[in-house]
Amino acid sequence: MNRVKLLFFAALRERMGTRTLDLDLPAGLTVRELKAKFLDEYPEMSESMKSVLIAVNREYASDETLIPLNAEIGLFPPVSGG
Amino acid sequence: MTFDMQPSGLPTVFAITEDEIDLNALLARITLVSTGAAAIFTGMVRGETKRGEERQTEYLEYEAYIPMAEEKMKQVADEIRAQWSAVEGIAIVQRIGKLYPRTPTVLIACTAAHRDTGVFEAARYGIDRLKEIVPIWKKEVSPDGELWIEGEYAPKAGE
Repeated sequence: MNRVKLLFFAALRERMGTRTLDLDLPAGLTVRELKAKFLDEYPEMSESMKSVLIAVNREYASDETLIPLNAEIGLFPPVSGG
Repeated sequence: MTFDMQPSGLPTVFAITEDEIDLNALLARITLVSTGAAAIFTGMVRGETKRGEERQTEYLEYEAYIPMAEEKMKQVADEIRAQWSAVEGIAIVQRIGKLYPRTPTVLIACTAAHRDTGVFEAARYGIDRLKEIVPIWKKEVSPDGELWIEGEYAPKAGE
């Protein structure tokens, strides 16, 4: 198993009602598979996940990115700093 | 605040802070004896915006994914140096928390020997890139309610 830490920010954090969530995943999943698994458990997040950006260990990921063991995974909307 | 003195001796300062942005202190840190020019961009909260109809803003609430945001600010500074080799010092600072109209929220400053070195373009690039890749968000709070502002840029993997 691969225990990962999800971190939510901005509108996704408010919608989830939490900043962090520990999740046990099978080893060797891609970001696309993680998204599907997450949406199975939290279908109410589907609207927020449409434009989501995902960072794996603080680096932007694509759907094909493999999730390393014990990864820190940030989920957030397109950024709006400045 | 991180103060990164590169082997070249060129200072880079980047920070996510809840404190007031102190322009003079930042400028002092990125001014070398060879520096003759600084291009400074700062953005502030507007109390009125016209997006279709006129809107009033009570305040903006900023949050950041701080460790990643610091890494991405460092990346923006590295990208500036790769394109404008004449740039001497770089400061990139984002203030977070509740910020009211007329308050500076962000500052990008680049220094160089003189103004004809690309230093204006370098600062412009810095604020544009910050708005694309640095994980910071703002929520607009008005008398009518709250609205998270979403950017439009989708960074590529590893960008």
